[in-house]
Amino acid sequence: MKRPNEIAKEESSMATLVELTSVFEGIASMRIAQTKNQVLESTKFFDELWKIYTQLRVDSLFSFGRETSAKKMILDKELFIIITAEGGFSGDIDQKLVQEMLKQYDASKHDIIVIGHHGAMQLSQRGITFRKYYKLPSKDKNINVSPIIREVEEYRHCTVFYQQYISLMNQEVKEISLSMAVKTAGMSSDKPDEVISEQTYIFEPTSFAVATHLERSMMKIALSQLILQSKLAQYASRFRAMSASHQRADETKTDLHLAYNRARRGVKDERLKEIINGMKKSKAGAAV
Amino acid sequence: MATRQDASTGELVDDGKIESSDDKGGMYIKVYAPSKVYFEGQAESISAASQTGPFDILPKHHNFITLLVACDIIIRTKSNEEKIRIQGGLMHVKADSVIVFLDI
Repeated sequence: MKRPNEIAKEESSMATLVELTSVFEGIASMRIAQTKNQVLESTKFFDELWKIYTQLRVDSLFSFGRETSAKKMILDKELFIIITAEGGFSGDIDQKLVQEMLKQYDASKHDIIVIGHHGAMQLSQRGITFRKYYKLPSKDKNINVSPIIREVEEYRHCTVFYQQYISLMNQEVKEISLSMAVKTAGMSSDKPDEVISEQTYIFEPTSFAVATHLERSMMKIALSQLILQSKLAQYASRFRAMSASHQRADETKTDLHLAYNRARRGVKDERLKEIINGMKKSKAGAAV
Repeated sequence: MATRQDASTGELVDDGKIESSDDKGGMYIKVYAPSKVYFEGQAESISAASQTGPFDILPKHHNFITLLVACDIIIRTKSNEEKIRIQGGLMHVKADSVIVFLDI
């Protein structure tokens, strides 16, 4: 049986763990709120741009911001972008995401770009090569996705695999075509009330250059939003893990406290027994 | 006195000859990025630069969409002048309302 002071030490370190998990839980919860706000602000911004774009080029085909004048070779392949966590604190959701992507993956038809170190590790462990790996942006504002968009423009088609925040206790793996992500985001915004044309507007440099720029910008925002969504899901997953750890640590602390009390009582009982035995012996000695 | 090119007419305008925006009622201006609003409110004029060069927007300007290049956006209100350094963006002018989208 452990001695009370040993148990007290364990209880004290468990109390620290309880406080730490509580702090991490709080941080995760705060980050969730901040990221949610960021997603909302970004959505408003996107809606304004989408309104201009649809007024400018109604019913036109989304061309991934490629300029028609540019004689760039388009790879006849599909680009898969997977957005995973940077570290390994995101539970099993990254693993699920990679498995989901691999169901469709064919090396001759697809190239992979990984965002987040955890995803890159998962692919390496499976012996799958990827074209590029980017770190998951640590900040939630001004995410620079331009290098990824330049890669996207080289491909015929692009699908993004990401994690979606449903609720604190529920996160799902989703996939979406990037052009569809732009259109889906645009569908939620108000319908434009007029058509912007060269008859009613002055354009600098040209209406087509503006439309191309808008497409590229909206793709950037859509991709940033998917990254934010993934981060939100990761924070939620972390929050869930920290909640569970907090609860476990709290229960262990309570158990340790009980064990400490039991051990102290045990020691007291032992001493009492020794005293009584001593008294009995001395009584017996006196009687002889 | 600095001379600027007016984007709607293409004419060179002397600062001293610009009519007071009090006569024209001013404009609503919003300069923002997905994560931050840099300016929002009424102003008398806004100056920026596009590929063709620097320009001013005054009240009653024609509908206008332009891609901005790296420059200082200068917003003049009744009481002061605000300068915002940008790397690029998009400006949409319509009915005395100027929206500048940054970081895009």
